[in-house]
Amino acid sequence: MTVLAIARASLTRLVRDRTALFFLVVLPVLVIVLVGATVRGFSTWKVGVVDEGAGAAGQRLVAALDRSPDLAVDHYPTVRAMSTAIARGELNTGVVLPARMDEAERGGSRTSVGLVFEQANSSMQAAATAVAAVVRAEGVRVQAAQFATAQAGGTFATNLSQAARLEGRLPRAQVRTVAAQASSSILPEGFSYAAPTELVLFVFLSAVAGGAATVETRRLGIYERIVAAPVRPRDVIAGETLNYLVIALGQSLLIVAVGALAFGVSWGDPIAAALLLVCWSLVGAGAGMLAGTLFKTPEQASGIGPVVGITLGMLGGCMWPLAMVSPVMRQVGHATPQAWAVDAWTALLARGGTLATVLPDLAVLAGFAAVFLLLATHRLRHVLAG
Amino acid sequence: MRAALVIAGKDLRQRLRDRSAIVIGLVAPIAIAALMSLAFRGAETFHYTLGVVDDDHGPLATALGGVLHEPGLRQVVTTQSLPSAAAARTAVRDKTVGAALVVPTGFSAAAAAGHPAALTVVTGADNATAGSVTASIASSFVAQLNADRLSVATALAAGAPGSEAARLQSLATTLRLPLTTVDRSVGATPLKAVSYYSPGMAIFFLLFMISFTSRSYFVDRSQGMIERIRAAPVRPHEIVLGKALSVFAYGIVSLGIIALVTTAAFGADWGDPLAAGALCVALVVAVVTLATLVMAVARTQRQAEGISAVLVFGLALLGGNFVFLSAAPPIMRNLALGTPNGWALRGFTDLATLGGGLRTVAVPIAAILSFSAVAGGLSALLATKAVRS
Repeated sequence: MTVLAIARASLTRLVRDRTALFFLVVLPVLVIVLVGATVRGFSTWKVGVVDEGAGAAGQRLVAALDRSPDLAVDHYPTVRAMSTAIARGELNTGVVLPARMDEAERGGSRTSVGLVFEQANSSMQAAATAVAAVVRAEGVRVQAAQFATAQAGGTFATNLSQAARLEGRLPRAQVRTVAAQASSSILPEGFSYAAPTELVLFVFLSAVAGGAATVETRRLGIYERIVAAPVRPRDVIAGETLNYLVIALGQSLLIVAVGALAFGVSWGDPIAAALLLVCWSLVGAGAGMLAGTLFKTPEQASGIGPVVGITLGMLGGCMWPLAMVSPVMRQVGHATPQAWAVDAWTALLARGGTLATVLPDLAVLAGFAAVFLLLATHRLRHVLAG
Repeated sequence: MRAALVIAGKDLRQRLRDRSAIVIGLVAPIAIAALMSLAFRGAETFHYTLGVVDDDHGPLATALGGVLHEPGLRQVVTTQSLPSAAAARTAVRDKTVGAALVVPTGFSAAAAAGHPAALTVVTGADNATAGSVTASIASSFVAQLNADRLSVATALAAGAPGSEAARLQSLATTLRLPLTTVDRSVGATPLKAVSYYSPGMAIFFLLFMISFTSRSYFVDRSQGMIERIRAAPVRPHEIVLGKALSVFAYGIVSLGIIALVTTAAFGADWGDPLAAGALCVALVVAVVTLATLVMAVARTQRQAEGISAVLVFGLALLGGNFVFLSAAPPIMRNLALGTPNGWALRGFTDLATLGGGLRTVAVPIAAILSFSAVAGGLSALLATKAVRS
């Protein structure tokens, strides 16, 4: 009973604090919206197009670029504007469609499409390779139409549509793509990426920053007053732990609900996901309690807490997939509980994993939670003993 | 003026005594910028190893090998010979290669005989980019083969007599694809992640000054500090000036040190020092006016904390301090230009990429100062109203 009363008192204090509610409820949802809208495609190249008067030939090429699943095409008025966008990183490469491209094609001459990119930058080089492949594929039909017009007569336009028809029927050298493995170690793009990673980030971060409340309680001497009453120290500790756990679970469930209802995130195997939520909330509760006993002033907790949370989140793959970083950074990252939680969510969301798949991750998380909670209990006991 | 300086000095000393000021003002932004640059170094320089299986040993396989070693591709692809298609699949699965390309047995002979076979690209789910680049290289390569065959077929379909087929065929082998690409330089330095995130993180933590300053004002007020200072021959505007000066000094020093450290240690490019300095000054002015606005709007310390927290995170989220804004949809890039920190980041981005000096950052500085004028004017208005009532 005492345990519940202590937990309830701490929770009531939190609910009355509108700033804390902003960080617990509003901020995570805002960040999910922002990241979900931003993280589109670790594998799509953004291509700018400037049409200097290329006519129908230019439009055909743009349509071909648009059809390519690896490219996202955007139009720019001038080469200068496009170059600025490339320099700023808004585009991976740019295409300049030359003036009178259509006349040149009809007249049987060669045309050069400008590719704007910096050769020293290899991602730009890779994007340019993808664009060049589309240009060459378009060139196949143009060559056939020009050849036919020169050798057999007829108009370029009819021969071009003839070539397009024949191309599908003719035996040709093709490029087949086979997947070596079907499962990915990167979360799906968009909101399915943002929601689980931000859950991992924010539950931990809010808990650590929420340690400020415990620091305040310590400073005000509330613990001493509680223990002066016939209350056992272990009930105080249990009550505080319960408080942190309820906050962490509540925040997790909110993010799960918002993700599922508003952004269509499918959270995978329900039992495994539920256990993962509980494990992660325990890690958060432990970290929050520990922060509450380690920091000296509430300002330290609310100032340094988020910094710690963000840094661990970055190391642990909440901000970008760990598959992207060097093996050393990946190993360093797995010193944080965040990395194991993100691994588990990746297994559930990207590979359709089950409880058996994520059991090792859950075990590691439970270990982290146990260590945090034990350390926090030890320190709080110290405080309670006066 | 002396009174203002004394107040500023006292505020600064008090701030530095709490170690969290140093963590927030220096340690955290530098550490996070370092982490971000470490993580994104791999993403900036895209490179992968391509496993090549040559079961053909014919002229086409040799030609393809030549394409893969062209100078342009060399910094994107390194090739590694693999014995078999099965070995290629294993290598991709084990991530020893990013993707693999299999040239099947008899590929050259089949193409010569008019029954071309397929090149196989083996991709892994974790390196989709390597897979798509390989597929692009392979399809560029087969394009010429296909173009020649399609040319003959189209000419025949357009009415060339069948007896001409042999002549057309030999004529077609001399053709070159009429649509080519020519490389053009961007004429600007591409943005490095560290050059974005160093100012990004410095600015984010600078925004925290809004919380600290407004909070300290209410703490001072609740302790009767303001009244005690007023009892001395100090005018109210000197108190405000003193507080503003301390924020200003702290902000400039914090931004300056972060700029120096990230430039020296991680190769961040903050651009022309004079222009970057002007941008920093404008931004710190904006932070000062935002802090006074919070002081004018809030009634209690709790309110000040709440309002500034929402303001700090709202501005940081919209302004692009957390996400690489260049990769975001256009609407978010435009939203960022509604915030002073968003304009500052745009300014630093342009300094690092387009170069130039004060001229490059003239528009961002003007935008930040107009923002400050609005915030400053609004807080002056509210303060006067409060004094009157």
